Amino acid sequence: MNAVPSTADRTGETTDALRRTLVRKQGWARRAPLLPALVFTVLVTQLPFVITIWYSLNRWDFLKPGSFSFTGLSNYTKPFADPFFREAALHTVVIVVGTVLIGTVLGTTLATLLDRKFLGQGVVRTLLITPFLIMPVAASLVWRHAFLDATYGFVNWLLSLVGAEPVAFTTRHPLASVVAVLVWQWTPFMMLIILAGLQGQSGEVLEAARVDGASALQTFRSITLPHLRPYMELGALLGSIYLIQTFDTVDQLAGGSPGARNIPYFIYQRSIGGGWKFGQASAYGVVVVIATIVIANLALRLISSLLEDQ
Amino acid sequence: MKPRSLDRPHRSRTRTSAVLGAFAALSLLASACGSDAAEPADTTPVTEAVAETTPAETTPAETTPAPAETTPAETTPPAAAADGGSITVAIVDNPTMKDIQTLTPDNFTKTTGIKVNYVSLNEQTLREQVTKSVGSGAAQYDVVMIGPYEAPQFGANGWLQDLLPAATADTAYDLADLIPAVKGALSNNGKMYAVPFYAESSFLMYRKDLADAAGVTIPEAPTWDEVAAAAKKLKTADMAGICLRGKPGWGDLGASLGTVVNTYGGTWWEANADGSIGKAQVNTGGFKDAFNFYAQLLKDAGEPDAANASFNECLKLMQDSKAAMWYDATVAAGILESADSPIKGKLAYALAPTKETKASGWLWSWALAMPAGTKNTDAAWKFMSWATSKDYIKLAATLPGGWAGIPPGSRTSTYAIPEYLAAAPAFAPLTLKAMLAAPIDNPGTTKRPGLPGVQYVGVPEFQDVGTRCTQELSAAIAGTQSNDEALNKCQDIAAEASS
Repeated sequence: MNAVPSTADRTGETTDALRRTLVRKQGWARRAPLLPALVFTVLVTQLPFVITIWYSLNRWDFLKPGSFSFTGLSNYTKPFADPFFREAALHTVVIVVGTVLIGTVLGTTLATLLDRKFLGQGVVRTLLITPFLIMPVAASLVWRHAFLDATYGFVNWLLSLVGAEPVAFTTRHPLASVVAVLVWQWTPFMMLIILAGLQGQSGEVLEAARVDGASALQTFRSITLPHLRPYMELGALLGSIYLIQTFDTVDQLAGGSPGARNIPYFIYQRSIGGGWKFGQASAYGVVVVIATIVIANLALRLISSLLEDQ
Repeated sequence: MKPRSLDRPHRSRTRTSAVLGAFAALSLLASACGSDAAEPADTTPVTEAVAETTPAETTPAETTPAPAETTPAETTPPAAAADGGSITVAIVDNPTMKDIQTLTPDNFTKTTGIKVNYVSLNEQTLREQVTKSVGSGAAQYDVVMIGPYEAPQFGANGWLQDLLPAATADTAYDLADLIPAVKGALSNNGKMYAVPFYAESSFLMYRKDLADAAGVTIPEAPTWDEVAAAAKKLKTADMAGICLRGKPGWGDLGASLGTVVNTYGGTWWEANADGSIGKAQVNTGGFKDAFNFYAQLLKDAGEPDAANASFNECLKLMQDSKAAMWYDATVAAGILESADSPIKGKLAYALAPTKETKASGWLWSWALAMPAGTKNTDAAWKFMSWATSKDYIKLAATLPGGWAGIPPGSRTSTYAIPEYLAAAPAFAPLTLKAMLAAPIDNPGTTKRPGLPGVQYVGVPEFQDVGTRCTQELSAAIAGTQSNDEALNKCQDIAAEASS
């Protein structure tokens, strides 16, 4: 994209008007095809956001026709005083951080194992990636009914073999269940990124380490792990972006249990999930978007500094 | 740090580009998966049964005095009705509604030429879709399925058309035959906003064979104390004494527990003098006693993982002989007694257990309503009147489920059909008795805010409060918090709606 203007700069000294027009034309010839997409993006992302801000300044109780009225910032006093919202925010943090940490550790382990040649490597790799390809709703339902159910679940059948009492996982330990299923889904993602990192590792360096008498553990700690750091950070960042939005697992696996309710589920419940208070739900939404922008900016700055670091 | 600098010169570029490449590729992959995620929730429950359009042979162009505002469709000449047109109907996805999807093309569409597009959704999604569409005036559905909680409220909001004129004018429809309590629950201020497809109360179902073996007798109108004692006696290592709903949701745990709260003399809110919502009454008096009793009964003799169980889970436990008693909707009896049920004929029934009131059974109906925005009112009423007619009930009996599986509880005449009484001797008369006894106007011992309702409170705030509260109470049943903690949180939630 920058190629054209920079060429223009370099040839700027000639100050040939015709040439400039030509360059400008060329620039537009490249930009014009992108415009429809840009306009579309603005229409479907920015416009709704502006409307949401407008809604958040009003009282709008959908089930009470005629309730729409301007209330200023009063909707914004609620999110900070609401203990249920704070609880949901805490659960969001636990879900994201828990899943990313455990997923990264497991992903690194699996990637290290997969990085060596063995019979059936392709099959094993495909099987390991599969959980990531399953729709979250389907995964939640299968886990809830086939694996974690107290009466019919596979996990409880395994427990019964060793004589343990059945555990009602999804109701007794809702947050842990949600994190477990998300780890199951997101470990393959972490594994893929870290595997890419491992395969980009230079064989010469590893060989040099071996010649110098470093043990396998020493090589891993001093050479492989530092090499993998940017990949892990990238995986953690991307994983966090998607895990913040987790809804399906909280709704379908934990049934919206108060022990696992996160921010997306909370806002759903304030709006079409039964609350039907669109003004107030919009205010919660705006607060979350602002918080996310701040966090995402910090994270993006981190990632770009990592890239410059190279 | 050191090992990194070892290979710095030749590695840096490849690594950067590898990271960038991985970033690009994976963010694409991840965003594809992310957007996939939202879709199944929206689309999977939708099954569309499109009835074939067959030219109408007998189109009795009975110009039904269509309800409410005059729309152009109403005045169109019969020729337009002859080609039938099509209507879109939002329904709940349960077995009884699968039957009507099967029966529509060869019967309704054949005689009227009207094509019916069914949009079948689970209860929660149906509620979201219908409320959104009807409340915003979108003409997305010509007919929607709602219950007695929504009908009078939506009607009062001006979202639904009054069906009384059409139903009165249609003599074949026999309006007077609808069970009065059900019709009343679907009406408000002298206007009828929905017609019942089927209706239910709640009662106690139990295994007669097991009760006899254990020497337990249950009277026809038991008290909760008697039921609790019986449940403890019937409980064995691999069989629950009683199955009760514990799953969050105002229509799940909220319904069962709501009737217990009523009969314990509790209430969600006091009513102000003008009928508005008064002080919340959740963590005190009858509500607290009722919940403590309910949770204790589940702990002593309930099903495993009760916090996860509702109608479908309890039904399965009963069919698998893993529960001896079950307090739930009267329609369940039709399924337990159906020809292919493993426990057919082993059951007996009793009225909803009580404590301080005379009757405690709930009242619910899945009913058809016409949104105010419906253009095709004539075709919509033809469909609604067919689906809720006496003839449809007879038609439903021709399906494999037989007479026991017909849509019950909507019409008094159903309970005079000899074939039905013969097929359902154990539960049909008691169902009618329960329907008639349901204390719709005065469910507890105190005055309620809002419109009439037994297992719910007829105010718009209830679905939110009911759902969030039952999530707290369900967590207490699961054991992740104490009863008092849950009741106190629930009190706070309910108090937000007080005025």
